[in-house]
Amino acid sequence: MAANRRPHTQSSARRRVASPTLAMLPRVGDSLSFLYADIVRIVQDDTGVCAETTGEDGDITRVHLPTASLSCVLLGPGTSITQPALATFARHGTTVVCTGSGGVRCYSGTVPASLTTRWLERQVHQWTDPDRRLAVARQMYTSRFQIGVPAATTLEQLRGMEGQRMKALYKLLAQQHRIGRFRRSYEPDSWDTQDPVNLALSSASSCLYGIVHSALVALGCSPALGFVHQGTQLAFVYDIADLYKAELTVPLAFSLHDSPNPEAAARRSFREQLRLFKLLPRIVTDVQTLLAPGETEHVADGHTDGEAVEMVNLWDPKSGSVPAGVNYAPQEAPDVP
Amino acid sequence: MPTMTVLATTAVPDHVRGALTRWMIEPTPGLYVGTLSARVRNELWAVVAASIGPGAAVLLHPEANEQGFTLHTAGDRRRIPFDFDGLALIAFRPQDEQTTDPEEPEPTVPAAG
Repeated sequence: MAANRRPHTQSSARRRVASPTLAMLPRVGDSLSFLYADIVRIVQDDTGVCAETTGEDGDITRVHLPTASLSCVLLGPGTSITQPALATFARHGTTVVCTGSGGVRCYSGTVPASLTTRWLERQVHQWTDPDRRLAVARQMYTSRFQIGVPAATTLEQLRGMEGQRMKALYKLLAQQHRIGRFRRSYEPDSWDTQDPVNLALSSASSCLYGIVHSALVALGCSPALGFVHQGTQLAFVYDIADLYKAELTVPLAFSLHDSPNPEAAARRSFREQLRLFKLLPRIVTDVQTLLAPGETEHVADGHTDGEAVEMVNLWDPKSGSVPAGVNYAPQEAPDVP
Repeated sequence: MPTMTVLATTAVPDHVRGALTRWMIEPTPGLYVGTLSARVRNELWAVVAASIGPGAAVLLHPEANEQGFTLHTAGDRRRIPFDFDGLALIAFRPQDEQTTDPEEPEPTVPAAG
């Protein structure tokens, strides 16, 4: 906790409340996981961000949203949102994700501007070198297997093992819940006719993507530079989400095989599971371990105990980085003819 | 395991307020804070909720959920707790006409005079 040494004047306090410092915002691991909003209008009034619904008679019911303590807001297709509200979300480091109905599909996400670039630089460092990238991809696969994997195993073999593992898991869970044959299918066109397990699986997966997305954005990583997946803006999100699916979303979806409203039930139970698994802090730790395997001291999500981090530096190939905002012209300027 | 409990009351009968001070302190009018076990809390809340008359009361205490606390309300006021897939937020009703069912996803308020 950074102690504020100078007492606030009324005007400085008012400014601080409007645009909070990093120390005033909860760490990504401490904040509430996600909020799904649909069929509302999200606006910024003079005190905060609220979701409005208008009744048939034109009366407006308002729900204030705890922006500073939310890590991710999922906007359903029935939502409209104003620019000041979006700006407030960005100032508070809340990821805003546009999703399909019920939180399925993740169309886009926003990035706050005032983030440390440390983890992005680590990610790019690991990603650009084929050997290092392969090492991270292997690590992602092997961390999911309970058994040791020989070092000579190729990535292709690892993919095969992972496919086998998921198949076996589906089969085991289908037997446990006595659902004959289960086939994973994702068909947005025939959404309402799908079986509850597939609905719950899609709903929980997109929640998981939203949360992973917001964790990555909160760390300042690029969601697009994946190690196993590639070619999509959310490749790294899919990479990280896959680490938890077998443990979190798949058993949850099968347990909802006779639920009347599997999508909402999936979101509700998923929230409970998130708390049990302490998922957000775990995502942050896992990403940091993957990107910086040698480092033991992990700085959590850009927070430092004390002053704010040095935000802008200039890169120097020899000394790493030098302070920005300094004029580096030589002191003895040669006479210009 | 006693936990910190906060009880806020609005326009409740005097005898309820007096009774509450025997369990908790009253740092500002109508707000009671104390450390109560779950059993005492439930008994007390049952009594308070049944005797508020036209007033209202809100009970807050720690709970093992994502928000870290849970809230109970008694009496009818313009602020209604809403459940967003397990996250409790507060809906502010424009007119206090009648209670809405907290289970329904969208509050609709009848025409007010």
